[in-house]
Amino acid sequence: MTTRQAAPAEQRTLTDVAFDPITRIVGNLGIYTKIDFAAREVVECKSTSSIFRGYSVFMKGKDPRDAHFITSRICGICGDNHATCSVYAQNMAYGVKTPPLGEWIVNLGEAAEYMFDHTIFQDNMVFVDYCERMVKETNPGVWERAERTPAPRGDQHGHRTIGDIMRSYNPFEGETYKEALVMSRLTREMICLMEGRHVHPSTLYPGGVGTVATPQLFTDYLVRLTRCLDFVKRAVAMNDDVFDFFYEALPGYEEVGRRRTLLGCWGAFQDPEVVDYSYKRMNEWGNRMFVTPGIVVDNQLVTTDLVDINLGMRILLGSSYYEDWTAEETFVDKDPLGNPVDKRHPWNQTTLPAPQKRDLDGGNYSWVMSPRWFDKRTSDFLALDTGGGPIARLWATALAGKVETPYVRSTGHSVQIDLPRTPSSPEVRLEWTPPAFPNTIERNRARMYFVAYAAGMALHFVDQALNEVRSGVTKTFQDFKVPKDAIGCGFHEAVRGVLSHHMVIRDGKIANYHPYPPTPWNASPRDFYGTPGPYEDAVQGCPIFEENGPENFKGIDIMRTVRSFDPCLPCGVHMYLGGGRTLTQSHSPTFGTLADQGGHG
Amino acid sequence: MGITVGTPDVEPDKPAHVAGVRRGNHRGFYKRQPGHRRDDRSTARRSTGINARHHNPVLPDMPNLSPA
Repeated sequence: MTTRQAAPAEQRTLTDVAFDPITRIVGNLGIYTKIDFAAREVVECKSTSSIFRGYSVFMKGKDPRDAHFITSRICGICGDNHATCSVYAQNMAYGVKTPPLGEWIVNLGEAAEYMFDHTIFQDNMVFVDYCERMVKETNPGVWERAERTPAPRGDQHGHRTIGDIMRSYNPFEGETYKEALVMSRLTREMICLMEGRHVHPSTLYPGGVGTVATPQLFTDYLVRLTRCLDFVKRAVAMNDDVFDFFYEALPGYEEVGRRRTLLGCWGAFQDPEVVDYSYKRMNEWGNRMFVTPGIVVDNQLVTTDLVDINLGMRILLGSSYYEDWTAEETFVDKDPLGNPVDKRHPWNQTTLPAPQKRDLDGGNYSWVMSPRWFDKRTSDFLALDTGGGPIARLWATALAGKVETPYVRSTGHSVQIDLPRTPSSPEVRLEWTPPAFPNTIERNRARMYFVAYAAGMALHFVDQALNEVRSGVTKTFQDFKVPKDAIGCGFHEAVRGVLSHHMVIRDGKIANYHPYPPTPWNASPRDFYGTPGPYEDAVQGCPIFEENGPENFKGIDIMRTVRSFDPCLPCGVHMYLGGGRTLTQSHSPTFGTLADQGGHG
Repeated sequence: MGITVGTPDVEPDKPAHVAGVRRGNHRGFYKRQPGHRRDDRSTARRSTGINARHHNPVLPDMPNLSPA
């Protein structure tokens, strides 16, 4: 972090405070703010990414059947979400329907992924901002109070005071921190059972899975899930205690990270009974997903129709290092239903990177583009966010009232989750109700509720899969033909929010491919209408509760806000070596002699 | 502007499918998989090629659940 005094502007003394790179996230994100320390408020914020990915550039010309293996590498933590989404897009393009058992296996793998990733992010990264050591440094007054405050749900999680909970979050030594690492091992094993490997699945294909379905497979999964449930029940109670305490100890903390409700969720967990991946029936099978897709604007559900969601997508520029593609080729002018497809839709995007110097004063400053959703009611380009994933998923699912399973159900205004009795805890009913508005605390609170949601869903999926296996139906894969020309789109939820893959096939090869993961939505810079992206929007106007002054300012409230979105700007994939510098290449055969000579390439 | 890059080693569509090469996903391949039946069920033959019939259930009404 660097600070430097800026000249007074509009009678306020603003201090430039830059956080670049932001730690404890994936990838390369910088937050540049102007803070008014006298008024204790962040006045301006810009979010930048200094790394270029280029998947949309180098996917062209590849065999479409390779798409999920390649795009899985977009992320080192939620690669299987990309693989799954790519498989959905390919299924649509090839016109193939996965057998039910294959679909349940994918759902089980994805449920385990949500449990894994949310737990490791929440307990090993987010809670470092709320742990004893951090709070002692930033808000000593709050820490003293935490030591004195009894934990209301102590009977559920076993900690006597809020201070005890916060102590258990201390990195590398806290009890919860270490326990979460054990959980992440169990949940990764669950993913490996279903998808062969984590984080880049080896048994996930268009048309189904290569996993051999046996009763043993599902009982192995269930044993691990049951152990996780004990932890999940305690974790939800601890989360509620700590977050409620922050509201109580710091009156007005609900304004930190507050943003207008503009949430997007693209839905997760297909229902094999209805899903056939045809575009024309996308609304029907999309609405049967076990996490309902939806867009929530000002606390109202605008749509749950994936066709609407798809056609409203616009990729805007304005502050990004790219040239405009409006003069480039139009790949899809009408969707299979005959609706016109915009030039700024991912199907028609051509990525034209234009590297340049970062200019935070009115120029371009990020490699991230500005995805927006066109609201045809108001003709606004909405800067939707995902709130880190769970808050949008729970909100859309709660309001839609379409999910009804034995363990998880949507009531139309809330989501109820019933978790059964497990070795060291009784049965529990959890209920998540949308807050008055999204803010830092509520984004974080929703995360552990969604872990419970995914766990409840996993129980249902295991039941369904075992029903198939017990009746002797073991088919997990459907063969298919790759057409010469086709289009496809996949909608899924990456762990931290919306995920879409758009593909155009020509002459049996990929002609255009555009993955849109959650962080381009969340970390987007100002578009050409001047609309700030969600991080910028949430941090701007954020009150400062940190007790430190400008000299030893840590920016904890800003960091908590940015991390509440679960930022993930995965590592770059392009390296330019200049005028022909050669990297040494060597090859180590598996059983070869080079290995002991240190010849690893 | 654009990015200046060197001469590519391979054509961008090098890893694409080569016409005439058999594809594992071809329609009709499922029925050639040993032990996989057309009614979406399977037999012990999917697990082993050695005396597979001896590993099938003893009664026809029992589900045929071969190991992985």
